[in-house]
Parts: sequence; C-alpha cells; structure tokens
Amino acid sequence: MLNRISLMILGGTLLLAAPVFAVEPTGLAIMQLVDTRDDGDDLIQKMQQRLIDRHGSVREREMASFRKDYGKDSKSITYFLAPSNVRDTALLTWDYDGVEKDDDQWLYLPALKKVRRISSSDRGDYFMGTDFTFEDIKQTPELEDYNWTLTGSESMQDQDVWVVEGVPKTEDLKKNLGYSKTRYYIRKDIHMFIRVVYWDRKGQELKHRLSDKISQIDGIWTVLHGTMTNIQSGHSTELIFTDQRYNTGLSDRMFSERMLKRGYRENE
Amino acid sequence: MKKLFNWLLSHPKSVLLLLLLVTVLAISQMRHLHIETDLDAMLPKQSDAYINKQVLESRFGSADMVIIGIINNSKDGVYNTHSLALVKELTNWLELQPMFRTLALNDLLSLATIKDIRGSDAGLDVEKFMDDVPATAAEIDHLQQRMHQFAVYEDVIVSGDGKGTIIVVRPMRHKYAEIYDLLQAKVAELEARGGPERFLVSGRPVIEGVFGAYMPAEMKRMQPLLMGLLVLLLFLSFRTPRGVLLPMAVVLMAEIWTLGTMAALGAPMYTITTMLPILILAIGIADAVHFLSRERLLAHYQAYAHHRERLTEVMHELWKPMLMTSVTTGAGFLSMLASDLPPIRDFGMFAAIGIVYALLITMLLLPASLMLLPERPKHAERKPLFTGYVEWLGGAVLRHPKRIMAFFAALLVVAIFGLMKLDVNASLVEQFKPDDKLRQADETLNRHFAGTTSLDVMIDTGRENGLLEPQFLQHLAALQAEIEKSPSVGDTSSIAEFLQTMNQAMHGDDPAWRRVPASSDLAAQYLLLYSFSGAPDDFETFITGDYRHAHVRINMKTDATKEVAALLAQLKDKTEVWFPADKGYKVEWAGTGFTVYRLSQMIIEGQIASLATSILAIFLLCWWMFGRLLIAAIAMIPVSLAVTVNYGMMGNLGIPLDIATALTGAMALGIGVDFAIHYLHRYHEESSAGHSYEESVINTNRSVGHAILFNTFVVVGGFLVLLTAALYPQMKLGALIAATMVICYLATCYLFPVLLGLGKSKLKV
Repeated sequence: MLNRISLMILGGTLLLAAPVFAVEPTGLAIMQLVDTRDDGDDLIQKMQQRLIDRHGSVREREMASFRKDYGKDSKSITYFLAPSNVRDTALLTWDYDGVEKDDDQWLYLPALKKVRRISSSDRGDYFMGTDFTFEDIKQTPELEDYNWTLTGSESMQDQDVWVVEGVPKTEDLKKNLGYSKTRYYIRKDIHMFIRVVYWDRKGQELKHRLSDKISQIDGIWTVLHGTMTNIQSGHSTELIFTDQRYNTGLSDRMFSERMLKRGYRENE
Repeated sequence: MKKLFNWLLSHPKSVLLLLLLVTVLAISQMRHLHIETDLDAMLPKQSDAYINKQVLESRFGSADMVIIGIINNSKDGVYNTHSLALVKELTNWLELQPMFRTLALNDLLSLATIKDIRGSDAGLDVEKFMDDVPATAAEIDHLQQRMHQFAVYEDVIVSGDGKGTIIVVRPMRHKYAEIYDLLQAKVAELEARGGPERFLVSGRPVIEGVFGAYMPAEMKRMQPLLMGLLVLLLFLSFRTPRGVLLPMAVVLMAEIWTLGTMAALGAPMYTITTMLPILILAIGIADAVHFLSRERLLAHYQAYAHHRERLTEVMHELWKPMLMTSVTTGAGFLSMLASDLPPIRDFGMFAAIGIVYALLITMLLLPASLMLLPERPKHAERKPLFTGYVEWLGGAVLRHPKRIMAFFAALLVVAIFGLMKLDVNASLVEQFKPDDKLRQADETLNRHFAGTTSLDVMIDTGRENGLLEPQFLQHLAALQAEIEKSPSVGDTSSIAEFLQTMNQAMHGDDPAWRRVPASSDLAAQYLLLYSFSGAPDDFETFITGDYRHAHVRINMKTDATKEVAALLAQLKDKTEVWFPADKGYKVEWAGTGFTVYRLSQMIIEGQIASLATSILAIFLLCWWMFGRLLIAAIAMIPVSLAVTVNYGMMGNLGIPLDIATALTGAMALGIGVDFAIHYLHRYHEESSAGHSYEESVINTNRSVGHAILFNTFVVVGGFLVLLTAALYPQMKLGALIAATMVICYLATCYLFPVLLGLGKSKLKV
C-alpha cells in the first residue's frame, strides 16, 4: 500500500519533472550512446573497397571478413578475394581496447606462402591505403581523448540528428590523430552517425565521411554503403558491405594463424 | 611629308595634349600588368618538356620540392639530441603551415617522418626512425645504425658523414617567393638561439621563385641609375635644360606606352621582358638626340632664319634615316618571333613596339615643344662636348687606313678562333653570384646530399599491372644502376628499389634477397602490404593506381644543361633495349633538369633562326633604302663584325651560350645597324652634293659623328648599368652588348671610311 502510494507520488513527480528530462543530453552522453549501440557479438560480411583517385580512376578490392568481440576487445580476420593478384592474402588482427596495448597483426602472403607478424599502426595512420585512418574505422573514437560538445540539432537525410563536435584534448593527441576537430551528425533514433567532417591540424577541412545506406539486418542497424572523401587531395574511398550475418557463433579457432593460411571458404 | 610637318608645327598644343592623353591612358592600364616567374610557363605549350611536366604532375604529383638543410659540423654531426630536437620541431612546424601540402609521407620527408622497414624471421616491422627525440647516447647510436643499415635514406635524408640532414616538403603552387621568405624568417629564428646548427633553404621552387622575384626588383633598382646616367650624358652633350628634359620625356613616354600596351594586351612580365624598360630608355633616346643635334647644328650655322622653317627642315632631313633605323632595329627585335618561346617572342615584339613609339613621340613631342619654347639665341654658340675628338676623327681615319684595316683583321681572326670554342650550357643556379645565399645553400646541399635538381623518367608499360612483372622491374633497377653511374647524379628512386627492400625484409632481412619480387603476384602483395601502413596516395609518386605507369626520380647535383644532355644521350640506347617501343613501352622525360635543357636548346635554336632572319631583313631594308646592293653589303659589315666578335669573345672567355647570352646577337644587330645607316645616309647626301671622298668623310663625321658617339655612350652606359645587377644573366647581357656596341662604333666610324675609300675610283654612294 505504502509502496503503491509512493509509486504514485513518484509517478506524479516524474510527470512534473518531465520537462527536465526533455533537456538534450550532453555531447559525451550522446557519444556514449553511439559507443554502446548493439553491433552484434560476431559478424561475417563481404566488403568491397573502391579507391578513387583525383582523376576518377578506380581501383577495386573485394574481401570477406569475420569479426568476434571479446568484451571490449575484438579479433578479426580478412581475406582478399580480388583483384586476382592478391587473392588469398589474409590479415589477422587482435584489437585491444584502449591505447595502452598495441594491436597484434599477422599477414599471410600466398605468393610467399608465409605468415609474417607485422607491426601495429598508429591511430592516425591510413588503413589499407584507404582514406580511413585506423581511428576512423573503429566503431567510435576513444571517447576519453576528446572534449565533446553538443552544438545543435538538425534534419539530415530526412532524419533528426544531433550535431556533436569532438576536439582532441591535447596537442599530442591532435598530432597522433591528425585532426584538430571532428564533427559528428548522429541519428537520434538509432544512435548512428551518418555524416562526419574532419579538420586537419592546420584547421583546414580535410575529409568528409558519409554513411548513406543504412538498414536493419538481424535486428542490428548496419551501414551498407559509406564514403570518405579527402577534399584536399581529391582522393576518396567507397566501402560497400554485403552478405552480413550476425551472431553466428564464430569459433575462437577462426582467428588463428592456421586459418590465415588455409584461406577463405564460402560457408564457414 | 612637308605638309604634315607644317600642320604639326602649326598645332603644337593639340599635339602635346594628344601625347598627354595617350600617356594617361597607358598609365591607367599599367595596373593590369602581372609578373610570370614559373619556368614551365616559359615553354611553348606544344613542347614535350611542357607536356611531359603536365603529365608528370597529373600522373605522379608535383615533383618540385622545397629543401631545408640542417648542417652541424661538430664532431657528432646531427646525431645529437639538440639537432634532432630541432628537426622534430621544424617538421612539426611545417606540418602546420598552410603553404605546404602535408597529406602523404612523400609530401614531407624528414628524420621525424620517414619509416624504417625491417624484417626478422617472425615478422616485419614498419616504424618511424624517430618517434620521440632520442635522449641517450645509446638511443642515438641505435638510430644512426638503423639509418646506415636501411641505406635507402642515407645520403638522401641524412648525409653519409652524418654532418647534415634535410627536410623535403611539398609546396602549394605559385607562392614560391613567399615560401622562401617564410622559411628564411623561421630559420633565422632558430639560428638566433645560438646552436651549432646552420640552416639552408633551397630546392627548385625556391630557386625559381627567388630568381623570378630578383629580376623585376633589380630592374626597378636600376631604372633610376640609368636615368641618372642619361641625364648626365645629355647635359654634357647639350648643356641646356631642354636638351636634357626633352629626350628624357620622349623615352619615359615611350616606356610608359609600351608597358601600357603590354598590360592592355594582357601580356605577362616574364623575367626576360623585365629588361624592356631599360632597353627602351637606352635605344629610344637615339632619335631624340639625332633630332636635337641636327637642329642645333642648323641653328649654329643659322641656315634658316625662322624657327619654324628650321624645324621643318630637320624633320624633313631626318624622318627617313630615323624611320629606317627604327625599322632596322625593330626588324632585329622582331626576328625574335622566330623563337618558339613566348618570353622571347614577347620581348622582341614589345621592344619593336617600344622603338616605334619612341620614334613617333620624338617626331611629335620635339617639334611641338620646340615651337612653344622661346628661341635661345645664345645656346647655338656653345659647342657640344667631344667636338674636338669628332673633328680629329674625320681627318685621322683618312691618314691611317692600313692600321685600321690591320686592327680589324686581327680582331676578326681572334673572334673566329673564339667562335670555334663556343659552348652551349645553361644552369639556373649558376645565374646567381657565387656569394649569393641561395647559391651557396644549393651548393652545400648538393655536396652533402643526393642533389637538388630533379630529372624524371616516366615509363608507360602499355598495360594494366605491367609494372609488376619481374622482367620490367629488373630493367627498372638496371636503369637506376646505369643512371647512378653518372657523377652528376646523386640518387635515384623508383618502385623497383622499394620492392627490393620489401623482399629483403620479408626474407628475414637477408641481403641476398635484395632483388625484385620473383612474380607479379608477389609484387602486388607487397604493395598491398605496404598500403597497410601508408596513406592512399603514398604510391602516387612512383606508380599509378592501375600499375601501368612507373616513374623513376633522379636527383642531380647540377642543373647544367651540358650534364643533362650527356646523361640523356648515355641512356637513350639503354632505354630502347630495356623498354622497346614495339612491345608497347613508352619512355618520356620530364623534370627541372629536362625543362632547363629543352629551354636552353630552344633558345639557342631560336637565336640562330632569328639571327639569320634579322641579318637578311636588315640587309634587304638597306638594299631598298640605298638602292644599291654593294652599299647594303657594306652597311652590314660593322654589325656582322660586331656580332662575330661578340660570340667570339664569349668563346674566348669561356662564357657559354645560355638563355641570356644567346639574346645578345639579334639585339646587338638591331641596335648597331643604326650607326651604319646614319653614317651611310649622311655620306650619301654629302657625296651626292658633289663633295670629294675626303670632304664627304670629314663632313659626315662632323654631322653625324657626334650623335653616333653620344648614341654609343648611351647604349654602352645603359647596358653597363646592368653590371650592378645581382644576377649573372643581366650582367652578362649588359657586358656583352656594351662590348659589342663599342666594336660597332669603331667599325662604323673607323672602318667605314676606309672601306668606302677602297677601290680606284673611290666608292660613290
């Protein structure tokens, strides 16, 4: 009885207090929503990379990738399918959360028939010769390295978005990341960013990122098509993702040197 | 004609007003003038050097890099914490400058950005040589050792003796002079801290930028100097304010009109065309001086009582020789249109236009002003300076014909001897004086490192993935080895070298594996592997994305065209064997070394064509004017002799034909022939009037000797002013034309009378 009364009181208070809850969350809170968004425990998908230079000539690559989460860490293996001269080249990565421990990477070159461990890259280094850096390809940037500010809300691609700006906290971070400022446009309904603008260390606009095709697959919101354009060099990268399968229960053995050598099989 | 002159003299105020209006109009246009210093813009658009440079830039990105050297001559060289911290600081600063492009690794190479590729049995390490500045002796030793083992960057980024290191950075285009100023200021700031390091700034864009900025600045500085000289000479000659001011007004107006015309036509100021103002001042003054001398001589003899009649007579007497001299000088300059190079064509065309303007203004301004100015009865009594010499000359030449002939014969022999030694060589860096900061920086950098002049080979394999083939890569490596045999080459780099390093690293760093990948697939996989740690356009410098085109970059220690020509000749046979055209290969050259080589080749070929054109044109004009083939031939003698002596002198003094010196021939020809025309024209008048050979010589001397002498002083003096310039091309041009003009004067006033006296009946003109 008492409980019911107190619940009613609480409910009434909540109703009264409702306008307070309508106040926009902070920039950091929004980025945390993005960070904790469900992206499945494991994922198999195919990826097509289209590297487009400033003359418009295109280089294409196709690969199949497998990813499995281990808490905040993750392991992934990527097999190259095309072009034919790099077919069966494969990359195994053990990705550790935080910046304290360097990632582990192994590479298999079929022409040499050897696996080589390769040194990890810096966060600001470009990823596989694309316009994405290693920092960019993470699901979210390291939140504690930036000061996040919500600068407003607007409508984009017929969706309501928050506009959140992230500025690296120190000069060293700016140097490591290669950015002096970033601006994310985040969909309020599904907590995914659909557009990002990056500024270089000189304070000039550097890159534009766009996720222009998003669908729900196995209940998980997934980017199907994205582009990153370096507006200074004119180089751009298009990523096309297909054949997603979430939470298939990938085995730990998948992410080993042996599998790296064995190569890709269609029905894993 | 007389009617026209009379009309001019009856409307002096309208004439002056008209001149003033045109001048104001020209001034209003002058703000549109723009300066073009880009070396590539000086090439004709259809030239292979121009086209290849565009292809190079679009296919592989710009190859023109700015170089900053840090030299430390103390025991450990740059391998100490202080110097390395400076490298890091400067690199970091450059990354933040909007004037530089720093997107990919190849945009900014320094000890603080380059990466070491090392292999072991288990893996492959790609990491920066210097992530943090090494603090301990052990760390520094380690860095030095790795640099030595990796070898690719030794002599390129760090000198072999460790005394110096360089930072190579890609500038944004067309701000080269500003970039130099910016870097000079930064470097001065670093040097002011008092460390043992010295800083040097060079690189092709900087050299071009500074060269381009020097030329107009020097011209601005020399203009008042030349004007001062003209004022002095005019005063010594005429000793009246009007004798000074009127000719000065004529040439300044002509200069303004010419610049105004250039601006209105949208013609850019090239480094060569910056010499136009000085040229117009020095040449344009002749007409005014001839006019005033003649007017004064007539006034002196009081041949015409009335002011106006006398002016009409002067105009009537002089319009023909003045037109002729202007036309012949103009023809000398217009012959430069035979050149393929826009700056030289512009130079010739606008010089000719300026000369026509000077003639027009002389014929309008002088009579109109003299009509308006009051008669000065006294000035006629003053004798011009050098009258004594001119009078003596008339007699002296008649007394010593043999000595004069002997002198000129000896001169000719020496000149022909020198002609045989004449050499072709051009270098942009050598246009700066040896003590110039930039030249010293460039020389120091060339001594310590691979070289600051780029030469580029582009090879089209004709098919996608063609450059991955082992045989092609082997030939590419062989080409590099062949090029590096040349002592003028410091270093070469290409994708082959890079793939060899990767191959070695992937085989446990065993030097035996330092060879090109054994299969096309392996090469592709190495490139993919490298891309894991590189920016998307890191490769752009060496290969295209479809793996069809390859680029070999050559660093030369000199930009002397002779060295480039020798290297090109040496490689031609080899490239034809390694990259045969019938198998679809195509080899093209580009880069600064090639541009300068082609540029000088075109200048020299163009000069031979324009020299021939101008000799022919001037000869035909003289023939038409004097009506006799023999006299036309005689008129050509002083200039031909002077030009021969000019090139002979260059051969004897070891001055090679280059961009500036090649111009002297046609210029000297056009200017020098004026002396002969004035002389012969007067001689013709005198002998037609029934005077004997001796009388005609003496009278001719008395009449035009003074004006020719003055003319010589002005042109010689004017071009000698160029000796004060900071750059060699202007100095060489100045000295050579001045010397040529002296020969021309001597040949006209000494040799002519002797030649005219040859033959039994003495030549009648």
